Amino acid sequence: VLASSSGPDAASRAALRLLMRRLPGVSVMDGAASVEPFAASDPPALRAASVIEGTELRAVRVPDFSPEAKSGFGAFLDGTQKVQIIAHHGGMPIVIGTVSAAVRIRVDRRLTTWAQEPPRVERKIYLPLRYLPALAELGADGIQASWQIVDTSTADKSGEYPSQHPAVLLERATRAVDQEREQLEDWMAEAWCAKGATPIFIDGGISRSASVASSSLAVGVIKSHRTLYVEGDALGIVLGLRKGERSSVFRVSPRSRSAVMSWYLRLRGVAGRDPLWGLVRVEVAERERLSDRANEISRWIMAETTPLSLPDGRWDKLAYGVRDCEEFLRAIS
Amino acid sequence: MIGALGRVVATERKPNTPHEFHFWTAISSPVGIGTIVRVDGAQPMDGQIPHIYGIVVEGFSYTDLQSPMHDVLGHDGLPTLAGFASTERAEIRLYTAAVLRQIPEEPLQPVPMGQVFLAEEADVHVALRMDSYLKEGANTGIPVGVYRAGGTDAVIYLDADFLLGPEAAHLNITGVSGLATKTSAVEWLLASLFKHFPEEKGSIAAVCFNVKGPDLCYLDQPGKVEQSDEALYEKLGVEPRPFQKVEYFAPYTAKGLALNTFRNNEELLDNVTPLTWGLREVLQYAEVLLNKDDIDAKADALIDFITENVVDKEFPSDGILTKNHRVQSFAELDAWFRDILQGLEKKNGESWRTHHVATIRKVRNRLSNISTRCAGLVTDSGAVSDLPFGSFGDKTVYVVDVANLEEDAQDLIFARIVSKLREHLERRDLGVKHLVVFVDELNKYAPGDGPETYVRKMLLDIAERGRYLGLVLFSAQQFRSQVHRRVVGNSGTALFGRMDPDELSTPGYAVLSPATRTKLATLEKGQLMIRHPHFTQPIFVRFPRPAVMQGREGSERYPQSNEISLEAAILRALRPLDPTITLPWVQEITALYTEQEVIRARNATLLARPHDVKAYFSSQFRKIIPAQPAQRPMAGSIRSVPENDPYGF
Repeated sequence: VLASSSGPDAASRAALRLLMRRLPGVSVMDGAASVEPFAASDPPALRAASVIEGTELRAVRVPDFSPEAKSGFGAFLDGTQKVQIIAHHGGMPIVIGTVSAAVRIRVDRRLTTWAQEPPRVERKIYLPLRYLPALAELGADGIQASWQIVDTSTADKSGEYPSQHPAVLLERATRAVDQEREQLEDWMAEAWCAKGATPIFIDGGISRSASVASSSLAVGVIKSHRTLYVEGDALGIVLGLRKGERSSVFRVSPRSRSAVMSWYLRLRGVAGRDPLWGLVRVEVAERERLSDRANEISRWIMAETTPLSLPDGRWDKLAYGVRDCEEFLRAIS
Repeated sequence: MIGALGRVVATERKPNTPHEFHFWTAISSPVGIGTIVRVDGAQPMDGQIPHIYGIVVEGFSYTDLQSPMHDVLGHDGLPTLAGFASTERAEIRLYTAAVLRQIPEEPLQPVPMGQVFLAEEADVHVALRMDSYLKEGANTGIPVGVYRAGGTDAVIYLDADFLLGPEAAHLNITGVSGLATKTSAVEWLLASLFKHFPEEKGSIAAVCFNVKGPDLCYLDQPGKVEQSDEALYEKLGVEPRPFQKVEYFAPYTAKGLALNTFRNNEELLDNVTPLTWGLREVLQYAEVLLNKDDIDAKADALIDFITENVVDKEFPSDGILTKNHRVQSFAELDAWFRDILQGLEKKNGESWRTHHVATIRKVRNRLSNISTRCAGLVTDSGAVSDLPFGSFGDKTVYVVDVANLEEDAQDLIFARIVSKLREHLERRDLGVKHLVVFVDELNKYAPGDGPETYVRKMLLDIAERGRYLGLVLFSAQQFRSQVHRRVVGNSGTALFGRMDPDELSTPGYAVLSPATRTKLATLEKGQLMIRHPHFTQPIFVRFPRPAVMQGREGSERYPQSNEISLEAAILRALRPLDPTITLPWVQEITALYTEQEVIRARNATLLARPHDVKAYFSSQFRKIIPAQPAQRPMAGSIRSVPENDPYGF
């Protein structure tokens, strides 16, 4: 998720002043440019998943849903990130990354910030220290006293250093910011699972954190489908789901992540739209009576389709509570 | 201290200025149009945290909905489904406030960002600059109502120096008819004024012209006071009771028997005095009743001649007049005119003492008309019963009931009484130092357009110069926009009750925000918007219902008497002076006299208020020696003729 804004904000200006003192040759950008997220490097893929509700994947109409249905979610969690190139030095990009996450709870049908864990906003400077010898000679301690610095030029697992190509370094910075945001979201989700009392609607998957993935309070709702956890005939069934239908429940067990049970759910009529329109994938901790659980949570998610999240372009899948989180974080970060 | 209820916000499109700022609040916060708030600036200025006081003049509410269509789509076009949404959209309450006061006052800067608090009573005093005239030992505050918002109940005071002079003066009330706003507000304010008027400023009285209905006719009778109003009275420091000293004045009906007022019920007549004027009183103000066509230079000269040389003087016969005249009444004036005109006709003359016969005829016609047009007020006999000019009482209300009179008579009464009040105040011998004159229906008496009238000139004169004399105009009307600009413009204080939307759309109200205008159009009974020289913005207050009997209740409890018999009218007039008088006694005394003679005797008695009413009343009649039946003369006996006398005749 990218929250962009035009012009350097107060934090960027402060960082710039600091850098200009340390790096006399720094070239300041006219207006801090926000960087759009890079296209994911993983190609779109189909991946097999084991069906755990029945023997084969099928479409299931969510029972007992009506417009009057009540949602059981008491909170929403989302995070935002902002990547800004504020300057160059010798062609090397100097980036400020801002990540934030918040839980918004619902009280009397209105959303408000969770008081037990206030929203978190963190800013860091992303620098390729290996390619900024001037900074290395001067020492980065002075900057680190005020700002956390993330080196984007460290060697990878195979011991190779990244290329000096500015685009490569910028991509590295962006990925690092992305990870920071995920960590912050996970931290907030864990806090809710430890202290919260009602189910929480989490924008994205829940399998990164073991405690979240096993919590009965966490419900992850994934809007993007770079990886579809179906193959063969099952793909046609998922893409052919009609409004108010879900798929059978299957298990998702990504490498180095926790296993969760998951299903697809069609929130809006697909006629005249692309097959992924209004389609979300739900992740919850594995529990018994999974059919009942999947139906109940599906009803909750469908109840969250009003109010609409327009004018957001993702309104077909974006719950209003999640949009509220984003707007809130946009206001404070 | 109550916590912050809002935060100041400013954007490039909606910036704050030195006179206006914006703030948002929680949806449930007790802020509305007219609420007074305090902003505490975040940054000190010269070591002092700035405090800005403002009054809410506009409110906005909106959600994050970008298009109504999105809401329609979100609920499948069915409004009934909207209530089932799990989440309400994010919503804002954004208010615009007009600055009342900034502290420090210099340098005057745009309102800074800061927290917004509901103004407490002390804040209200500062915000409205009331702290400058509510000082211990120099308190000139007159409670006008209570400002209410959230949990704050603050008494709003007017500055007596700016209400009754000398700094500014006069008060004007606007409001639609039928909601008891205008009359009630004046009754309440007079009660407050009498209670709180600073002693060191001297005595005060009020003259109220009752121009319509019975609303002002029961000021001395207790009215119903609700429990909520009792609390208001206590807060405002005024006792909920009717006026203690009220005197009523009303002319007679055209027939001259009963008083021409709603308050002519026998039970209420003890403080009702007839208002009757003679020829001299009327001639002084003939200008009021005669239009410009009537009083050209020649006619004016003749009227002056009559006033100076004829009225109340012995006017000898001359070549034209056949006898001496002493003119004291309209009847005698008419006889004087008749004598002149007949003399001129006999001698075929065209002028008398340089006055042309046509002018004499014209003036006779116009002046004779007056006694007809103002019957009941103007007496043929010349008897005068008037307001107690020179002995006005402190904290006394004098009500002159002209509600049932013809327009001419109303104008005459108004012009003469105000002129007399003015004369006495100029000479400082009215009896009180300050006098409030209340006139309703200013649309009629001082219209913005139409011909120049004597009454309008007088009202303008009071409005522009009255404050130097202690003569203060409290005026009221339904349509302020139609009243002469100089009258309302000179009113230092203005009260507004519920307003007609058409009136609010006139240019004079353009300075008010749309929300304030809407509030004015929907004000409840007992609510007012106030403009006062110390207040930089209009303030909304609540005032208690007057503790006097309302007109409708009064007229039901004390029904107006219909025209009654001559004897009953005499009994009713004299009984307050002497309760032993009975109807048979009146019938016996008046049986032999004409109606005119009886009325003249009554008027004389009422004017003199003698110790022995019966004797005085009886003495007013001419002696009539009862006719004695003539004795029949004794007839002499007739000698009878013998039956057999053939020569007998």
